[in-house]
Amino acid sequence: MPASLTFATAALIVLPLLAILILNIVNKQAGQKIALNVALVVTVIQMIAVLICGSLLVTGGKGSIDFSVFWDMNANLSASFFTVDFFSLVVLFSIGMVAFISAMVAKRGVNGKELNFTNLLMVILLGMNGIAMVGDFFSLYVFLEITGICSFVMIALYHSKEGLEGAFKYLLMSCVATAFLLISMAFLFMQVGSLRFTDLTIALSGWATGEGDLFVTIAFICFIAGIAIKTGLMPFHSWLPDAYQSAPAAVSVLLGGIVSKVCGVYIIIRVLSSFFENIPEVGIAVGLLAIISICFGAIAAAAQNDFKRILAYSSISQIGYIALGIAAGGPIGFIGAMLHFFNHATFKTTLFVDSAILEESVGSTDIEQMGGLEKQLPVANVTTILSLLSTSGIPPLAGFWSKALIIIAVWQAGFHFTAFLAILASVFTLVYFLRLQRKVFFGPAEEHLAEVKESRGTLAFSAIALSVVTIGVGVLFPLILRFLQAQGLL
Amino acid sequence: MMPIFTAILIAALLVIITGFFCLTQTRNLLRVIIGVEVAMKGVTLLLAFAGYINGNYDLVQAFIITMIVMEVVVAVVAAGIAVRVYEKNDSLDIRKLTKLQG
Repeated sequence: MPASLTFATAALIVLPLLAILILNIVNKQAGQKIALNVALVVTVIQMIAVLICGSLLVTGGKGSIDFSVFWDMNANLSASFFTVDFFSLVVLFSIGMVAFISAMVAKRGVNGKELNFTNLLMVILLGMNGIAMVGDFFSLYVFLEITGICSFVMIALYHSKEGLEGAFKYLLMSCVATAFLLISMAFLFMQVGSLRFTDLTIALSGWATGEGDLFVTIAFICFIAGIAIKTGLMPFHSWLPDAYQSAPAAVSVLLGGIVSKVCGVYIIIRVLSSFFENIPEVGIAVGLLAIISICFGAIAAAAQNDFKRILAYSSISQIGYIALGIAAGGPIGFIGAMLHFFNHATFKTTLFVDSAILEESVGSTDIEQMGGLEKQLPVANVTTILSLLSTSGIPPLAGFWSKALIIIAVWQAGFHFTAFLAILASVFTLVYFLRLQRKVFFGPAEEHLAEVKESRGTLAFSAIALSVVTIGVGVLFPLILRFLQAQGLL
Repeated sequence: MMPIFTAILIAALLVIITGFFCLTQTRNLLRVIIGVEVAMKGVTLLLAFAGYINGNYDLVQAFIITMIVMEVVVAVVAAGIAVRVYEKNDSLDIRKLTKLQG
């Protein structure tokens, strides 16, 4: 393994740990001052490391790299190790990007809690990087819990009534979800004797021939129940809007932008594409939950009056699209899901940054109290329009392409009515976002908001940078498709 | 006479169901946490049973010890949140957690 690759892969795990060590070794005042800058540096290095890994994967012509950090992966057959492939690189890049933006937002948002926030941010970064790279089911559970625990604490960072309530609801649902996942693991372990993804793939590949085994069936059911709670798919979504709405601005950027996606839909994609692939029932179950979430999320979002709550229901709907893409199967569905994952991380983070701008300048996120902020908040106005157009799939923005790929995959799989519903819900996305835009930015100016001014700083910079990514990915999309074709992924 | 492993399996599932039933019945934050913990104990038993069936004792030992550690951390965070909720609301009743709705 070349030295640069060792550096790049180890950076993803060791660097957050090192940052925590540095921040807590120096005295508290100094730590408080440098904390967020350290977080910015770590996240930038993560993005660079991902790019290095990606270029080495391309030049090496390999599909994936296996590596371990603290021990020799060849020493023991059952030793667990990390695996990096193209999809996990996309996820790792999104994690770095959203964590960077979250630290930028925190520069304005977390007064007096910089050190606490950064420590938690580093641990959550470690947890998410772990989820993106693990090679076995049990390590997945460990990293899932690390990420989960950090998000509970972060939601309740200020001990506000709302924060505590949102955190407790999330914690409870998450505990139930992990219990289901562990039951699923126990039954799989009973049957297969190992929890490594590669072993499970081999053991379950012969299963599809129709021999129904009770234990494996129970494992599937429990897995889908657990992961649907973690993802926030429709009948299990109750914690998600509460958690997003009650979290402080910087935390809701992180949660809404990446955490719930990595903890939920990424695991669905990873597991479905590796070892439940041969079992069509699992795909149908996930697809059904996905299309229900798409429609329900879009309809429920239109009835909300809180900016962050609208974004939360919109997240439920968009996560449904990612799950639908992977349930449809085939390379087009997989690529569509992967790109929608990245695009969703971009535009949803932009929208949460805009909600942070509103929270800072207006003091609330209740859209009923706003109106005519178009002139006073130009950056928030333009970036919100751009990302809502991207969310509802208007060409040439990034969201259009990934949604189009997903719907093509669903159509090719033969589910024409589902594809039709997905397109219809996409139009409905435009409805609830136009309502949001009209209430907040357009229309006559409200008297009590005459003094509102936009701050030129990290918030505006974050929103603009993310919008540039959205436009850039959209305009350059044919190039990305050709690159993926050259890599043999499409 | 029931084989021993069927009995363990049924016992583990019963413990899990007891924990979830506790979740549905109680209105007290601390009892909710206890319910979750009971369910997790059942899951631990199930995992130990899985190792017993296929003879992978060493691997399953590592799993269970890790799981206990994670569980304790979750319980501590949950109890911390419950304490803060009690300070804010002067009550542990989950029906009073109604700030977020819609």
